[in-house]
Amino acid sequence: MPVPEHLIIAPILIPFVTGALMLLYHERQRRAKLGLGIASAVSLLIVAVELLNRAKGNDLAGGKDIGFYLLGDWAVPFGIALVLDRMSAMMLVLVALLAIPALIYSAAGWHKQGQHFHSLFQFLLMGLNGAFLTGDLFNLFVFFEVLLAASYGLLLHGTGQLRVRAGLHYIAINLTASLLFLIGVSLIYGVTGTLNMAHLAALIPKLPEADLPLLHAGAAVLGLAFLIKAGIWPLTFWLPTTYMAGAAPVAAMFAIMTKVGIYVIMRLALMLFGPDAGASAGFGSGVLIAGGMATVIYGALGVLASQGVGRMAAHLVLISSGTLLAVTGFALAGGSPEMLSGGLYYMVSSTLAVSALFLLIEPMSREEGGIAAMLALTADAWGLDEGDEDSQQEEGLAIPATMTILGLCFGACLLVLAGLPPLSGFIGKFAILSGALDTQVALPNALWGFMGLLLLSGFATLIGLIRIGIQTFWGVDVTVPRVLAVEIAPVIALVAMGMVMTVKAQDTMTYLNETAHALLGPVSYLEGMTAAPRVTQEPEVAP
Amino acid sequence: MIEQNLILILVLLPFVGAIAASTISVNSRNAAAWLAALVMLGGLAALSALHAQVAEGRVPRAVINWIPALHLNLSLRVDGFAWMFVGLVLGIGLLVVIYARYYLSKTDPVPRFYAFLLAFTGSMIGLLVSGNIILLVVFWELTSLLSFLLIGYWYQNPAARDGARMALIVTALGGICLLAAMLMIGQIIGGYDLDLVLASGDLIRAHATYPVVLGLFLIGAFTKSAQFPFHFWLPGAMAAPTPVSAFLHSATMVKAGVFLLVRFSPALGGTGAWFFAVTGTGMATLVIGALIALFRHDLKGLLAYSTISHLGLITALAGIGSNGAIVAAIFHIANHAVFKASLFMAAGIIDHESGTRDMRRLSGLMRLMPYTGTLAIVASAAMAGVPLLNGFLSKEMFFAEAVEWHNGTWLDNALPYIALVASIFSVAYSLRFIMTVFFGPAPVDLPKTPHEPVPWMRRPVELLVLTCLVVGIVPGLSLGPLLNMAAQSVLGPETPWFSIAVWHGFNTPMIMSVLAMALGAALYFAFAMRISDGPEGPPLLHRLRAQKMFERSLLALSWKWPRVLHRLAGTERLQPQLRLIVLAAIAAGVATLWAGMRLAPQPQLTALDPAFAVMWAVGALCGMGAAWMAKYHRFAALVLLGGAGLITCLTFAWFSAPDLAVTQLLVEIATTVLLLLGLRWLPKRKEEIADDRLASARLRRLRDLAIALVMGLGMAGVAFVVMTRPTTSNIGDWFLRNAYHEGGGTNVVNVILVDFRAFDTLGEITVLAIVGLSVYALLRRFRPAPESAESPIQQATDAPRLKDAMFVPSVLMQWMFPVMIVLAAYFFFRGHDLPGGGFSAGVTLAIGLLVQYIATNVRWIEARLIVLPIRWMGAGLLIAGGTGMGAWLFGYPFLTANAQYITLPLIGPVPVATAMVFDLGVFALVVGATVLMLIAIAHQSLRIARIRAQDEPQPSEQAAE
Repeated sequence: MPVPEHLIIAPILIPFVTGALMLLYHERQRRAKLGLGIASAVSLLIVAVELLNRAKGNDLAGGKDIGFYLLGDWAVPFGIALVLDRMSAMMLVLVALLAIPALIYSAAGWHKQGQHFHSLFQFLLMGLNGAFLTGDLFNLFVFFEVLLAASYGLLLHGTGQLRVRAGLHYIAINLTASLLFLIGVSLIYGVTGTLNMAHLAALIPKLPEADLPLLHAGAAVLGLAFLIKAGIWPLTFWLPTTYMAGAAPVAAMFAIMTKVGIYVIMRLALMLFGPDAGASAGFGSGVLIAGGMATVIYGALGVLASQGVGRMAAHLVLISSGTLLAVTGFALAGGSPEMLSGGLYYMVSSTLAVSALFLLIEPMSREEGGIAAMLALTADAWGLDEGDEDSQQEEGLAIPATMTILGLCFGACLLVLAGLPPLSGFIGKFAILSGALDTQVALPNALWGFMGLLLLSGFATLIGLIRIGIQTFWGVDVTVPRVLAVEIAPVIALVAMGMVMTVKAQDTMTYLNETAHALLGPVSYLEGMTAAPRVTQEPEVAP
Repeated sequence: MIEQNLILILVLLPFVGAIAASTISVNSRNAAAWLAALVMLGGLAALSALHAQVAEGRVPRAVINWIPALHLNLSLRVDGFAWMFVGLVLGIGLLVVIYARYYLSKTDPVPRFYAFLLAFTGSMIGLLVSGNIILLVVFWELTSLLSFLLIGYWYQNPAARDGARMALIVTALGGICLLAAMLMIGQIIGGYDLDLVLASGDLIRAHATYPVVLGLFLIGAFTKSAQFPFHFWLPGAMAAPTPVSAFLHSATMVKAGVFLLVRFSPALGGTGAWFFAVTGTGMATLVIGALIALFRHDLKGLLAYSTISHLGLITALAGIGSNGAIVAAIFHIANHAVFKASLFMAAGIIDHESGTRDMRRLSGLMRLMPYTGTLAIVASAAMAGVPLLNGFLSKEMFFAEAVEWHNGTWLDNALPYIALVASIFSVAYSLRFIMTVFFGPAPVDLPKTPHEPVPWMRRPVELLVLTCLVVGIVPGLSLGPLLNMAAQSVLGPETPWFSIAVWHGFNTPMIMSVLAMALGAALYFAFAMRISDGPEGPPLLHRLRAQKMFERSLLALSWKWPRVLHRLAGTERLQPQLRLIVLAAIAAGVATLWAGMRLAPQPQLTALDPAFAVMWAVGALCGMGAAWMAKYHRFAALVLLGGAGLITCLTFAWFSAPDLAVTQLLVEIATTVLLLLGLRWLPKRKEEIADDRLASARLRRLRDLAIALVMGLGMAGVAFVVMTRPTTSNIGDWFLRNAYHEGGGTNVVNVILVDFRAFDTLGEITVLAIVGLSVYALLRRFRPAPESAESPIQQATDAPRLKDAMFVPSVLMQWMFPVMIVLAAYFFFRGHDLPGGGFSAGVTLAIGLLVQYIATNVRWIEARLIVLPIRWMGAGLLIAGGTGMGAWLFGYPFLTANAQYITLPLIGPVPVATAMVFDLGVFALVVGATVLMLIAIAHQSLRIARIRAQDEPQPSEQAAE
């Protein structure tokens, strides 16, 4: 009787249980909730690192380094299966790495701005982890709903006119996208009769020609839903406003939200329409490349056209997203694994840096008083019940040499995001470029264009951020803000992770190279899924 | 081994020093200066330890693996050229450190200055000794970044901010181009190793992309070494403290560009394109720089343009590329570094002691500061190329190369004349510097009274000027061996030994030198008055300020145009965004389905039931009516929406899906009632929106109607095709077959929900919980529109009658409560085998509560019955999750269900499934979430009541928590 690897489901259940448990606490027990939340995030990190170590096994062919977890012990493809491979393990670690700093940062007072911040945050983690782990299309939809619903709540956290307006736009657009998601899944199910991704990949090459248009329509509509989440131009205009409107710790966590869309596109497109997909091979690569490049251009224009650092950071998300979409498109069109692994490296490093930048924005642009003043303002404007929120200035350790530390953190983010040496941004960009040069794809001109764009977008980022940096740190009448240690420590932690990625670049690249190979040739994923053993040993009747 | 460590010390020590310096307290100037000086000395010691090997022609190396996967390693190598250059950097660096100690004032954050300076030195050395061309780019960009920080050191000064930014933008652009060029070179030769690159010149030059590589490479080199037309950032960088200028202009930064040209000339040089691009640019820069320098009134400005001009000279030599030219280029790199550093330091002393750098105000300083004056005069004589000084020798070599025949093109033939013209200007501006500053009448009206500086501020200048003299008088003994060592490492070991002599005979270069000096002096004395009265810059040309042009185009390119384009390419309004999504969906459908339309199988149709058709017609009309009414008649729209929902419900029943029908019905009731409650608090509708009658609005609506029709019909068509095609075998069949004997229930829908795909259900109830919490959080801060705060007209005017009218319904509704509880229990218990289940039960109970709130009022009900919905939710989630985890005890995966019959007394065998416990969690959650939203809305009336009468007692809001 095989023993199921219960650890695989832990990244979903830990935040689920924590989030549910917090509901039993009184809303005022925020300190307890904060403690629970951080405990949950830390244990998520431990579990994720352990899972990453397991996924790192060097036996690529046998499928042993991919873990499967059959929920309810139902055989594939009837039940839902969770899959742990290098890619999902990496994303789990990334989620945990973003969550801990964001939660610590929220202790500076943000979590007091509204109700149930901590529960919603945990449910967001649950949704993210679930989306990264699941191997089932409909279950993916469910986890998308979990993470989106939580993101609605978190975005509206603290309310205020700007947030409510941006939040309602965000909700409307994402509900539309979810509708498309459902339509796409139903079409695919209608044609193939399955929801399991691996099973689907096995069925697609065998489909009769007459079924292909419907399948493609389903895939296109489904893809559209993910592209909206990933923020592809021209379906991206909701994104900057939304990201700007979120409270700082929320925005920092949102840095990974577009990456969920990209993750799914990467995984599904390469699995379903990879080179083995027969007549459907390479489906959609042109759209990804063109759309990705348009997104990069739009993002770069936005970075240049932004006055505030918040808007700029939101457009930096777009640049990163567009770059990754184009890289995925090239990978689908026959790009080299090296280029894809460069893209993955870039994804991790830019996510960390954008997250750090979102946490920096508020201290950087803070005048006297900080959050306390802001809380007072919202309380005033929204007629809070007396004593409902305690809005006295947050007690805590204020850091010395504020401007220097803020400046250093900002500089590090700038280097990473503009892709300047010697930090991780440069390595990611360099890996993409050198991988691209080794690539023989169907669209060489597009590839050259993309490489130029990658360099120029970095340059635009430099110009934009340096403008802001000079204004903020070299301004003439800079009043030094009071910044708490709990606000700057998370930023330093995020920046430090980028540094670790730089120093440990070889190990990271090796891991990512194997990830890219596995993504491009998901043999062990597909075979492993079909052979995933049940605990109950009974002969199964295939339909 | 030891040499490897020495190289590492060479590169890393400055960075370590930088970190150490940044931790020193702001006030300890001496500590920081000592630290920096010791670091420079340490570097020099390490360097001299390497000399023996390098002199033998060997190349010590150090390699530390960084990212072997990308062929990017910390590969360092010190050959003769690098050795000489590093020596220059460290030597001048040491002098700059000493000089800066006395130059910077007490109020400046001195340790930070030294930290930047050391880090900059480290990156410059790294650049020089990189053995990997990508690593070279890494250090290249680092020098750009650190020079930004150095130039902007006095950031309170706007000129420093602008200068720093401009320098960074120009050089970073160059760095990007250089990176691209290096990547392409790596692609051509299959590696990034510098030795490999230098050995593969033929391969690179023959490659199809050679022109592109060359172009990108040269942009990189030219931006850094301030070649025309990228020269403008260098004068802007003068806003830096003078020690920084002295360092950037002499041994570092700008020299990195020419270093690159000389270094890569074996790999990329030797072609016509190289010659024209490099020599042409160099000569143009040489002349333009010298010309502008003559007309600058600012002392540092004159020197900055003179630097540009001399860099042009070196660039031109690198472009010529013959052995002699390369030797001359290396020689002039060293010579220029020495005399330019001393000149900048002298200019700094003058500025420091007199308070101005304007040559029109300075005069006769020789009398006030004779030592400094003498030093500056000797140094600028070297700059002008006066015999017995080092500048003369390399200039002679340049003339010799210019005269020599290379390839006979027009540019080659014109070289001597261009060189002569530039040289004349160079003599003239050097003369102007000497004459205006040190001779003439005593200065009047200076900010400070000039006097000699503290001796240690002058020592570095003395040392440098001494070097000028030594090299100029005994070149063969002083710099000769090093120069040959450097040249051999660039040109190859079999390069002949160059002996540098002071006297070459009375040949053409000598004539040119004499001519240049005579004409230069004549030029200066003829126009001296007019130059100092004229504007800052050459006549006519001064209107064309490259700096201004750059700033204007930067503003346009990086701000104005992006704003316009960004606005054109985007929108922030919701409707266009939704329209785009729908259009994209249509496009996706059309692109994939259009060609395959003929492939659609013949649908298998059954006869249409007229009753069903009528039902659907009603449903469709309701749906369209809801959309139609949504803008002006919310209530009607809501009712029509309910109608469409009921038809859906009937359709489910029609097609034998009772479970779905029940659920749909209950959800329909709950949502409609909640929405109706919400309507109460919306702002009043506008009776009329004037803009809606405009033609453009009509057109817009027409367009949207068309889009909606296409989308709707397309969707219907696709759905029709999918539903009428022959069924493929799917997992649904398996569910039907296995629900009872695998899942233990006869209600397949429920078994799917709580067993086969219970994990989905777990997710969905979490979604419901989240939505409940979000709505609650939002509504807690919600303030109704002022106009909705009033009681509605009906309530206000007819209050007593209304109470009577509601009496009977309200009693009925209260009586219904137990009935609904029983109904909920009924749904719950039969769920696994018959239509029902935890979800339906939960909604039913919630409706029961909802009805109570409608029947009475919040106060009444909460005085009698307090539901703590959030607790219900938490408990529900934990029950559902806990059931799933229970399976772990038995070694099964999460959510594995177990169903058995157990025999109860009196009742007999009863089916019991763990799924039922799971369903209980679902039930609790649904009740909690629905009631939470209900309470959130219901409590609005309490808040309004309180706002209406502030003095009323506080109502209990704790119920909601």
